[in-house]
Amino acid sequence: MGLIHDTKSNVLTTTVEAAVNWGRKNSLWPMPFGTACCGIELMAALASRSDIARFGAEAIRFSPRQSDLLVVAGRITIKMMPVLQRIYEQMPEPKWVISMGACASSGGVFDTYSVIQGIDQFIPVDVYVPGCPPRPEGLLDGLMKIQKLIEKETFSDYSKRK
Amino acid sequence: MAISDLTTRLQEKFQESILDVSEYNGEVSINVKGLVILEILSFLKSDGFNFLVDLTAVDNLTLGGYDRFAVVYHLLSHENVERIVVKAYVPEEKPSLPSVESLWKSANWQEREVYDLYGIEFEGHPNLIRIMNPDEFEGHPLRKDFPRQGREQRKDFPVVERMTRGKRL
Repeated sequence: MGLIHDTKSNVLTTTVEAAVNWGRKNSLWPMPFGTACCGIELMAALASRSDIARFGAEAIRFSPRQSDLLVVAGRITIKMMPVLQRIYEQMPEPKWVISMGACASSGGVFDTYSVIQGIDQFIPVDVYVPGCPPRPEGLLDGLMKIQKLIEKETFSDYSKRK
Repeated sequence: MAISDLTTRLQEKFQESILDVSEYNGEVSINVKGLVILEILSFLKSDGFNFLVDLTAVDNLTLGGYDRFAVVYHLLSHENVERIVVKAYVPEEKPSLPSVESLWKSANWQEREVYDLYGIEFEGHPNLIRIMNPDEFEGHPLRKDFPRQGREQRKDFPVVERMTRGKRL
């Protein structure tokens, strides 16, 4: 049949992992957690000039149950930390976390009693974006690093998540 | 009404409660004892100072002063376009003074803020709870003897691990 002869030019073989990872990395749904000026740069990354939609991450969800990328943008205080942990736990697996800016990553200049000195003490973080605040390009670079992480996932990584 | 006239009448009326009266750049500030603050402020309110601009506090630990804490009231008279500052001193042991929430509703949250950050109690306040720090927070951070980096409050959280599905905090 003519169909059989045509398969060579029409069928692409791949692994399930690569196909799943390709889908995941190009349709990240971010959950913005903007508590300070980094939140403004996050909004700038969404807007037309930087346009995070080029990386497939334009579907911002304000519900943690519908998102798989938590972007912590801004300083986290001792009163906000339980909220952040609750939101992280509400997100379905698989999920990734970007710690955006100096404050979220290390407390920044706010070395005071009420500011958490780095959210990675209490929730897992995958990518840190430096800057005070980072430019939208910085956040997009962080997003591409998350995409690289997703590319490397294997079946055993999936099964760990259950 | 001239403000000098007012201060003379204040001094006559609350002679033993007023610690001193000073004037700088046309603005009068009065230092008083904390316990009579409600009487003094209601006198000033009936005298035209209808607006509570600000209510805050000072810790005199390193500054020196009549007492450890001073609660500061900034009043404004819209009618006469005059301002006055009243400082009410409260002692270090059990710092407490009457609430002025009955005179100005806006004092409600400001007194809660002073209570939260300085630990000064306001008698007669309808809802004297912390306004900014978490309810279980210990200490009063704007006191000069509170360490800037806190007392380990910012380390006191459970650690959420990766892949915690099905587990709760």
